[in-house]
Amino acid sequence: MKGLKKYSVIKSFSHIYVEEGVMDHPVTREIIGKFPGAVKIGIKHYKDVFCRPRQNFIVQEMSRKLILARKKGEIIYSGPEVCQDFGNKNFYYTSPILNCIYGCEYCYLRGMYPSANIVVFVNIEDYFKEVENLLKQQPVYLCLSYDTDLLAMERIVPFTSRWIVHASDKRDLIIEIRTKSANYSAIRQLPPAGNIILAWTLSPSEVIEKYEQKTPSLELRLKSIKKAADDGWKVRLCFDPVLYFENWQRAYDYLINQTFATIQPEKIYDASIGVFRISRDYLKRMRKIASASEIIFYPYEERNGIYSYPEELKEEILEYVFGLVRKYLPTEKIFI
Amino acid sequence: MFYIVTAFHTEAKPIIEHFGLKKITRPCRFQVFVGDNIVLVESGMSIVASAAATSFLLTEFGAGTRDVALNVGVCGAKEKSLKKGDAILCHKIINHDTKRAFYPDIIVKHAMKEGVLETFSSPVDKGEYSESRIEGDVVDMEGAGFFEAASFFLPPHKIHCVKVVYDYLDGERVDPVRVWEYIRGNIPLIENLMTCYNVLDEWCPEFFDEEEPEIVREISRGLKLSVTMTYQLKFMVRSYMARHKREPEALKEFLNVKVSSKNEGKIYFERIKEILSH
Ligand code: SF4
Repeated sequence: MKGLKKYSVIKSFSHIYVEEGVMDHPVTREIIGKFPGAVKIGIKHYKDVFCRPRQNFIVQEMSRKLILARKKGEIIYSGPEVCQDFGNKNFYYTSPILNCIYGCEYCYLRGMYPSANIVVFVNIEDYFKEVENLLKQQPVYLCLSYDTDLLAMERIVPFTSRWIVHASDKRDLIIEIRTKSANYSAIRQLPPAGNIILAWTLSPSEVIEKYEQKTPSLELRLKSIKKAADDGWKVRLCFDPVLYFENWQRAYDYLINQTFATIQPEKIYDASIGVFRISRDYLKRMRKIASASEIIFYPYEERNGIYSYPEELKEEILEYVFGLVRKYLPTEKIFI
Repeated sequence: MFYIVTAFHTEAKPIIEHFGLKKITRPCRFQVFVGDNIVLVESGMSIVASAAATSFLLTEFGAGTRDVALNVGVCGAKEKSLKKGDAILCHKIINHDTKRAFYPDIIVKHAMKEGVLETFSSPVDKGEYSESRIEGDVVDMEGAGFFEAASFFLPPHKIHCVKVVYDYLDGERVDPVRVWEYIRGNIPLIENLMTCYNVLDEWCPEFFDEEEPEIVREISRGLKLSVTMTYQLKFMVRSYMARHKREPEALKEFLNVKVSSKNEGKIYFERIKEILSH
């Protein structure tokens, strides 16, 4: 059946929607130059395409389109409570890109956005300005790869490199770039910066094959991480979301042992562990569109508007995985 | 189901002939032709007529998210780079009067050219109308009305305007034979698009907000379940099927239960909840 799909569906990025105001922006030109065969369609505002009613997220995921736009209004946001701040004050995040090419089955983006198309805000210069304004008031811990996987998009739009170059001399700025990609080679030419944390999300191969089908394999991710750590980058490991499934203990045993057999523990900056959790509204919408997903239909429990595993199971999972990671990293480097 | 909207009978005729559609005989505000998995309506000329006929068709035949709506007809092209007889799959449809633009999702493969359609409320003649004021690659008098109306019913990847270039906005007289030939000549391309939709639908999963499964309806009736409980049951069945990749066999024993009070129904409902939680 998958073969049939190939014959009936157009390849992703066959069409690029461009806001009239950014037609001549250098980033727009750079992206368009990478897709010479794509159909270009002028639009007034990205929401005219991104927020149309009745879009089918799952169908759009098969043939994602690019939307190039200018981000206006608020650009940097205060970090949400459900996300780990790793002990940093002044936790902020930003979303230079909306949506992600990987389409993991459990991803909250499926419940958050009305469309699976990918919006790139090309006006990166305004993001830089905004951060500089914030830095005048206080030190800033900024998560860049929110609502997307920025490094996975590097060959389409090299925002990760631009941010690293821009941020590396700013002492009061700490940046986290989180990814599931194996795309370290795209930024390897840059000298490692002490205020940039490259964070990799790791999952057991069973999870990757079932729920993260478009992401690189565990082996490729580990190779990327090893290179980055050996080159001297600060590397964060995120065992998040930890999922519950048959034989989950065995799968996480293997994952964590394999990780630290590949990468020397002392080269790891820190690690985080978190079980699957999702807001009520997002889960509700995901359940509407992903009819056959066992991960989405698991009978989660609701606590304060967030759905996750029942408390007892959650504790059991966290304790177990914490115990595995603790064999390799000191407790103060592990965040839950 | 494919719903096709044309403005005139001359545009509809080759489609009717090719797919062997039959006119429905019951009294109807529009001319409607039906066939195997296809219904066609002739709207008449204008934005409003096209919107009215589209809404009528999609309501009358109960269109759902699995259906596709196509507006097929002739148009005028701004540039000669488009040849007479070329079929254009429109990726942007502009209502010239309101300046509102509509964007279908181009997801399935097709072998047509693509372009922007601009819909005017009166005929456009380049001799009397400055070319710089025309935004579209092609021009018609129905597309935007069709698209806006169909958008109330269907997702944007299931609505398309297929326009066949007839003239270059030079006031050429409409020759019914040539319209027939142009549309007829492009039926293979339209049919190919339809085939791709059929393949896509086979592949796509059923969506949760579609009708509840038969078993849920039957049990709900027999156990006198409230609307909320029926929704919960529907959700639990879907959830069970997602986790186990099969229907919950154990539910069948509840199909013949007929309770006499809502309280009795609640007791059964709790038992069902327990079964479906595994
Ligand atoms: S990689 Fe992250 S952002 Fe991308 S789809 Fe997967 S979970 Fe979502």
